[in-house]
Amino acid sequence: MIAWAAIAARGGDTDAPSNVIEWFTDLENRTNSGAIPSQAWLTIWHSALALAIVAVLALPLAVMLAHHRKAELAASWVINIGRAVPTITIVGVLVIVSLRNGFGLEPWPIVIALVLLGLPPAFTNAYAGVRGADPSAVDAAKAMGFTHAQVMRRVELPLAVPLIMAGVRTAAVQIVATEPLAAFFGGEGLGAYLRAGLADRVNGGVQVQAGALLVAGLAILAELSLLILSRIVVPRGVQVGSRSTRHRRTRSAPAPATI
Amino acid sequence: MSRRGWFRWGTALVVLGIAGAWAQARIAGLSIETQASNPLVRWEWLFLREETPAELWQATAQHLRLTFGAVAAGTLISVVLSTIAVRLRWTFAPITVATGFLYTIPSVALFGLLRTRYSSIVAAEVALTSYTLLILVRNMVAGIDGVPGAVTDAADGLGLSRRRRLLTVELPLALPVIVAGLRIATVTTVGLVGITAIIQLGGLGQLIFDGFGTQYYTKIVVGSVLSVSLAVLLDLGFYRLEVLLTPWARRRGTP
Repeated sequence: MIAWAAIAARGGDTDAPSNVIEWFTDLENRTNSGAIPSQAWLTIWHSALALAIVAVLALPLAVMLAHHRKAELAASWVINIGRAVPTITIVGVLVIVSLRNGFGLEPWPIVIALVLLGLPPAFTNAYAGVRGADPSAVDAAKAMGFTHAQVMRRVELPLAVPLIMAGVRTAAVQIVATEPLAAFFGGEGLGAYLRAGLADRVNGGVQVQAGALLVAGLAILAELSLLILSRIVVPRGVQVGSRSTRHRRTRSAPAPATI
Repeated sequence: MSRRGWFRWGTALVVLGIAGAWAQARIAGLSIETQASNPLVRWEWLFLREETPAELWQATAQHLRLTFGAVAAGTLISVVLSTIAVRLRWTFAPITVATGFLYTIPSVALFGLLRTRYSSIVAAEVALTSYTLLILVRNMVAGIDGVPGAVTDAADGLGLSRRRRLLTVELPLALPVIVAGLRIATVTTVGLVGITAIIQLGGLGQLIFDGFGTQYYTKIVVGSVLSVSLAVLLDLGFYRLEVLLTPWARRRGTP
């Protein structure tokens, strides 16, 4: 709140940068909203922590449940509730709950909000991936005497990896895209530039543009790095266009959106 | 009515009755004087303050206006884009990539960025519309693509023109998938509208924002409850519409 008032007070600053490039090179004007590396680090740290928790919670659970064909209804509920609860609601409620109970701002309210945001896409994609594993492959594995664990680990999981990675990617992008909201609820991070710029009606525009570029850049970076990662972890045999799948995908039909 | 139906309605009535009696007792004991502590919910603000209903209605109405404005504009653009994608197959990949790129841009950043050039309302609607495109186009194209080849062959065999085939055969069959897309786009937009609070719009999001700024928790709670119920109600409404439009597909597991 104090930082906010201070930023609003220096609204009439005359030697403010007049375009984004000037803003990026002008270090003094950022004293009120922090240096880029530290704010970026905070955003990355929050996002990475949230994504790690999402992966640990959602993926094993989804793989197990889908293997045993349990929780079909619960899975659909997870999507619907996840879609229906607005992010700003989660962040707002968690921040007040955390403050009232003395847990402070850093980092739990925003990380928990981001985890809740990332769980549905990660869970549902992993579930759909395992559920959609070629039944003849699963049957063949069973006929060869594979145990449940073996079927899961050596047949269903490799076949589901493309969808699992797609879910993780969606979750990651949403998490990175939402983290800046924390700055509007008393936290810090890359959103601080947007907050400061939007509060400064006179010449905050440049700072908003710069902040938006930083946030968007980070989101695209997350998407690209996870794309590269999925290139690495997807087994050769199930990659699109590989020899074993080519004959099946004569026409690439688009899948309807479910997330 | 079946036995199960009676049970369900009976339970609902009992629960409603208890809740009503409890609320009645709470309201009767309220006074307009502010308390010294800062409770999570100030019931007197909710029930006794005269301006509250109008304020809540205004916030909800703005939320709905922003949502439907964006979904309507998004639908118009998506119809054009998917028509192009269906006619000229090679345009589908670039259209998906472009709308996918729009979808990747963080909402907080896009609202702020557009706000530096345009008024709040234009910035909000442009950004919200751009987020609906990916979902809508993907489902429209998937719906048309999902029409069985035998059906389109039969339509061709009957001598239907391409336009008639699209309007009278493919479109009705694709409608459920298209409505599913509308449903997802609408519910997603309800959530995103809240974030436009950072550019002084936001409907119910503004309520949450105000509540945080002034440490008035009641506004946060009420804003949250209302926005979640709005999303759930719209989701259910579209679900009913989906069921109505697909009388041949009695519900199966996934929505």
